[in-house]
Amino acid sequence: MLALRQLWVILKKDILLELRTKEMIVSMLLFVMLTMVVFNYAFNAEKNDLTSFGGGLLWLAFIFTAFLGLNRSFVHEKDEGCFDGLLLSPVDRSIIFIAKMLGNLIFISVVEFAAVPFFTIFFIRYPYYIYWSRLAPFVLGLILGNIGIAGVGTFVATLAINTKRRDLLLPIIGLPLLMPVLAPSVIISGAMMGGNVAGNTAEMVSASMKILVAYDIVFFAAMALIYDAVLGE
Amino acid sequence: MTVDLKAEIEVAKLNKYFGRRHVLKNIEFSLAKGGFLSIFGPNGAGKTTLVKILSTLEKPTEGTVRIADVVLGDDPAKARKKIGLISHSPLVYLDLSAYENLEFYGTLYGVADLKERAEYLLERVELSHRRYDLARTFSKGMMQRLAIARALMHRPSILFLDEPYSGLDPHAVDILDGLIDSIRSDHTFVMVSHNLDKGLELCDTAMIIEDGRVIFFQPKREIDVDAFKDTYRRAVRGDL
Repeated sequence: MLALRQLWVILKKDILLELRTKEMIVSMLLFVMLTMVVFNYAFNAEKNDLTSFGGGLLWLAFIFTAFLGLNRSFVHEKDEGCFDGLLLSPVDRSIIFIAKMLGNLIFISVVEFAAVPFFTIFFIRYPYYIYWSRLAPFVLGLILGNIGIAGVGTFVATLAINTKRRDLLLPIIGLPLLMPVLAPSVIISGAMMGGNVAGNTAEMVSASMKILVAYDIVFFAAMALIYDAVLGE
Repeated sequence: MTVDLKAEIEVAKLNKYFGRRHVLKNIEFSLAKGGFLSIFGPNGAGKTTLVKILSTLEKPTEGTVRIADVVLGDDPAKARKKIGLISHSPLVYLDLSAYENLEFYGTLYGVADLKERAEYLLERVELSHRRYDLARTFSKGMMQRLAIARALMHRPSILFLDEPYSGLDPHAVDILDGLIDSIRSDHTFVMVSHNLDKGLELCDTAMIIEDGRVIFFQPKREIDVDAFKDTYRRAVRGDL
């Protein structure tokens, strides 16, 4: 019971700090919108049908947007040595990891769900298509992908907290670790936005979902278990 | 040095390496319950590293640390409930109010009378009139007072003070003195300080660390203050 209260109070604190400072969400929103504008001009989206590339473009924008936010996810902990305050308290390290990860998952998801409507208008020939017939698998794909990104991102951001080049560590370590998340996420989002998928669409989407679920479970459990070691305990 | 098994803090054969650098070298000491140990030494001697190990923020490379009958390697979470730390950094969130900071830390420690305890401590550190103001609007002295309240929130029995007086105005010094005085009888203190007079005034045992080694450890009643100060100055100059 105390563990749940501790988890909730850390998560609540992160949400409260973000609502007050808006450091993560505003910078992520600006970045993802700017990326879309650049893509729009680069691929001449008005003339060319980019529906087939939709999944790739979407996740390219999302992964770097997520990294931007994740790099800032420990800023409040770093200020005034607050992370030491957290480590001094009798909180299981896996609780700290889960709470920080859930916070990151919420912030990344809020930005992505705000960006998706704009993305579909810019790049998808029939944007209404995903809203009605394929909304549920599209949203599920986004959430499963985000769980993987938030888990790995929170873990690597913790590794980077006391390093000088912490902005570099996340893409260098995080991107290779996230390849198994990105590929199925691109397939699911692309297929659900009406793009072409090699082979049978339903089978590919189903297989991709299973890969994401397996990845999320395995990495989440592994990272929660070894978080102690990362924090030097 | 003999190790007292009934001591509140007991350190045996403690070594700490950062890479190849041998930061703490075979540290051994014990401190009885209710004792007040002042640790002195030049910059880079290993004082803060020692406090970080005692307060569970760092792991020793070798050796044993026992805090309030808990061996740190066995159950650090149990030891953490009994430890409070006041360090250079206040460990408070700048965008939370004074009250929210205390409420946050109190919940992490499972403090039952959260509201009453926070209100009482804010009163004690004379910040109750600013309880709903964000910590980032506080002066250095007010921030340190909030740090003191944070460290006492869960009623620790052992307090580690890492240069707690640095940057405090005279009023804040008086408040900290008063707080230490009021809880002195039932708490064990370990304080790192560069202020010889203050450190000696408060302690009942003094230690000097130089280059990771304990070069002086004595009860205050046995200390010749002039000889002690001379040893300290030579340690700071690197003449030892």
